[in-house]
Amino acid sequence: MKGIVGHAVRLPAYSVARDEIARAWQIPSPGGQKRCIRFDEDSLTLAATAAQDCLAGMDGAHVDGLLFASTTAPHLERLNASLIAAVCDLPAACATMDLGSSLRGATSALQTALSLLGGRQGGNVLVCAGDTRDAEPGSGEEMLFGDAGAAIAVGEQNVIAELISVATIYDDFLDAVRRDRDAFITSFASKFSADRGYVVPMQTAIQSALKRAGLTAQRVSKAALTSPDKRSHLQLAKKLGLAEDQIQDILFNDVGLTGSAMPLVLLSAALESAQPGDIILVAAHGNGADALVFRVTENIREYQMHVPTSKQPARIQYSSYTQYRKAREHFRHADNGLEISNILYAKEEHQNVRLHGSECSHCGTRQFPVTQVCVSCRRGDQLREIALARSGTVFTFAQDELYPSPFPPTLMAVVDLAGGGRIYCELVDCAPSEARIGMPVDLMFRKFKEGGGLYHYYWKCCPGRGL
Amino acid sequence: MTRSLAHEVAVIGVSCTKFGENFDQSLQEMMVEAGTGACQDAGISVDDVQAAWLGTFSPGFGGGKATITLSDALKMRGRPITRVENYCATGTDAFRNAAAAIAAGKYEIVMVVGAEKLRDRAVRGLQREGIHPYLESGSTAPGLFALSANRYMHTFGTDRRVLAKVAVKNHANGALNPKAHFQTKVTEEQVLNAQVIAYPFGLYDCCPTTDGAAAAILCRADLASKFRKELILVRGSGLAVMSGKPFLDPTVDYLGFPSTTAAAQQAYQEAGISDPIKQVDFCEVHDCFTWTEITNYEDLGFCKKGEGARFIEEGRSSLTGDVPFNPSGGLKSFGHPVGATGVRMIYEIVTQLRGEAGARQVKDAEVGLAHNLGGPGAVACVVILGRES
Repeated sequence: MKGIVGHAVRLPAYSVARDEIARAWQIPSPGGQKRCIRFDEDSLTLAATAAQDCLAGMDGAHVDGLLFASTTAPHLERLNASLIAAVCDLPAACATMDLGSSLRGATSALQTALSLLGGRQGGNVLVCAGDTRDAEPGSGEEMLFGDAGAAIAVGEQNVIAELISVATIYDDFLDAVRRDRDAFITSFASKFSADRGYVVPMQTAIQSALKRAGLTAQRVSKAALTSPDKRSHLQLAKKLGLAEDQIQDILFNDVGLTGSAMPLVLLSAALESAQPGDIILVAAHGNGADALVFRVTENIREYQMHVPTSKQPARIQYSSYTQYRKAREHFRHADNGLEISNILYAKEEHQNVRLHGSECSHCGTRQFPVTQVCVSCRRGDQLREIALARSGTVFTFAQDELYPSPFPPTLMAVVDLAGGGRIYCELVDCAPSEARIGMPVDLMFRKFKEGGGLYHYYWKCCPGRGL
Repeated sequence: MTRSLAHEVAVIGVSCTKFGENFDQSLQEMMVEAGTGACQDAGISVDDVQAAWLGTFSPGFGGGKATITLSDALKMRGRPITRVENYCATGTDAFRNAAAAIAAGKYEIVMVVGAEKLRDRAVRGLQREGIHPYLESGSTAPGLFALSANRYMHTFGTDRRVLAKVAVKNHANGALNPKAHFQTKVTEEQVLNAQVIAYPFGLYDCCPTTDGAAAAILCRADLASKFRKELILVRGSGLAVMSGKPFLDPTVDYLGFPSTTAAAQQAYQEAGISDPIKQVDFCEVHDCFTWTEITNYEDLGFCKKGEGARFIEEGRSSLTGDVPFNPSGGLKSFGHPVGATGVRMIYEIVTQLRGEAGARQVKDAEVGLAHNLGGPGAVACVVILGRES
């Protein structure tokens, strides 16, 4: 049996009210809020967090493939999936690939991942997606686009939703285009685009997949349908004969349209409330459409998300449109001049990216980073490299107004990791008044500086999101 | 057993520039002023100096990292010069090395110069060099000390008001010192209401970035009477190095600085001090931030851990208390040009022991202690000087 074995969603902790955007541009507001990145996040970090959370919910299951889909990947040449695989501390023989330029990249990746199963070492394959699409300031799309990451793991053991059928069609339709030299999309949004560029291919792919599965639309428990706007998916549903309660809410009021992450975000949301026997349909558009049909298994009863969506509310709201823009512009204009040689990067990848440390077999002390002499018993003959836990508690912290930041103060924390090891890193997604000694935190991979033609990433921590 | 250098080394000359924003003086000019000043104080010429130690953290333009900074300033040619850099403990460590060389019998007269020019940099504040791009990213000096202060205050229930008392005391002392960077008194309310730099530290809880230089002339104790009528001897010294990254060390409790305790133990043993509060008359300590002085009381053994707040609240460290701390005004008020600070402390202690400190004179000053702390408790240096009667 092939199918889904794990799922996770990463919703940014920051949000902006659409009324704030409307106020800035003197345009009508569709209401609600959209999730948006802090200045130190991008599509890679969103996807990496979702990928880690997905793995954490799978009890150390073996993974030998990782696919990353995004239209806003930070690197055009440098395999983003390889960096995410390293963050997830996956073995070198893990298959990695990026899928860019398509809003349905994640569903294409999902099909690819499912087809990879069986032929490899019997491991699971992880599909993750993240998008931080930046619409032209003042445009209609700016109101719609939200940022998010998501991950779906597929495999053949402990399947929670069995794959029944897939269908795909392509169509070089011009609805949203971003060329290599464009910062923002050129949108051809219209009634025509919604009908001919979205409803038609989606309807075709979905009906084809349902037909292959031998199912009628009425049998679908939840349809996770991406949408190019606030309501075109409802038009599509009507065409398909789906009732309102069969449609997965697209999270427009809380999150927004999250690009290539959207089908996985909605699929995860549908799985979060699924019961054994449910039929779940996921479909995504973008120069054609992909549709996949799954049947939920008994294993869903046992499955627990590592970080449920309910534990990811918008904790901090950008107080104004300008603040929201500033967060997005920061890394576009900031070169902090930090040059890191590829020698140092290669030498320290295990500690700085994989979060490895050392454990002393004499005294049992775990420590970070990888070390040659034990910090506790000072012997050096029994140290072995280990992966450290990615959660812990704040031992002490500082609220630093001096450190240069687009949004001071910078909270810096000394974190004692669960099971041992101590790390010093920024505490993010946390109001200064919330920071406390003893508070539980999760480690999260984020951008911290730029320079020498590179984005630099490292670990930070955020208020604990677990159950 | 290590050989004690107590009673073998005398300080026969000291000098110090005005500390502050010395916009009209270069690093070299400050070195010349301090270096020749110390020679004049000792009644010698620069040519009499057989070897020199230069303490500087970031020598900056023209001098690079090397000893030539001092050679080119004083045209001190053809003799050994050693540069010492040990974080903010640079100045006292340069002094400690010079004293050890005299005690070893290698030289008869040597010079120590500490100098720093922090206010001609393009970026404000202390330039931090050589930090790890990942492991230490996000750190600043106030932020690193705030990690300790927050944990300490959380553990002992200390109030910010106690920290403010350090600023009030040291500003009051600095107001009596014509060479201090700041010579103005501040009130507790001013300190508490100032802009926050890194909580719990507001602006007045932090020492300033300062330019300055200081110098001392050391000679063999048995020759000192040729130069000065009073005899001021090095009674003991100690240096202790801990981790530069305490935030990665799970054994660190963040309640104080074990480096200070270890350095003090070395110095006390050499000086024959078993009860510092009775045997030390005054201290010049490293108050880079107000809380640092509180933990210094404890780490140096003047009170127990956790009792530093009471120590200042009872006025024991004030100019008229039983052990005045920082009669000069301290780093807080006198300023903190990194490499110069430790040598400036020696200047203050010698001035006090000679009874020449004017309005800030400590009564019956016979034994003085200098304490330098470098990095986030990474390095501490303690030097004890005494007047022989």
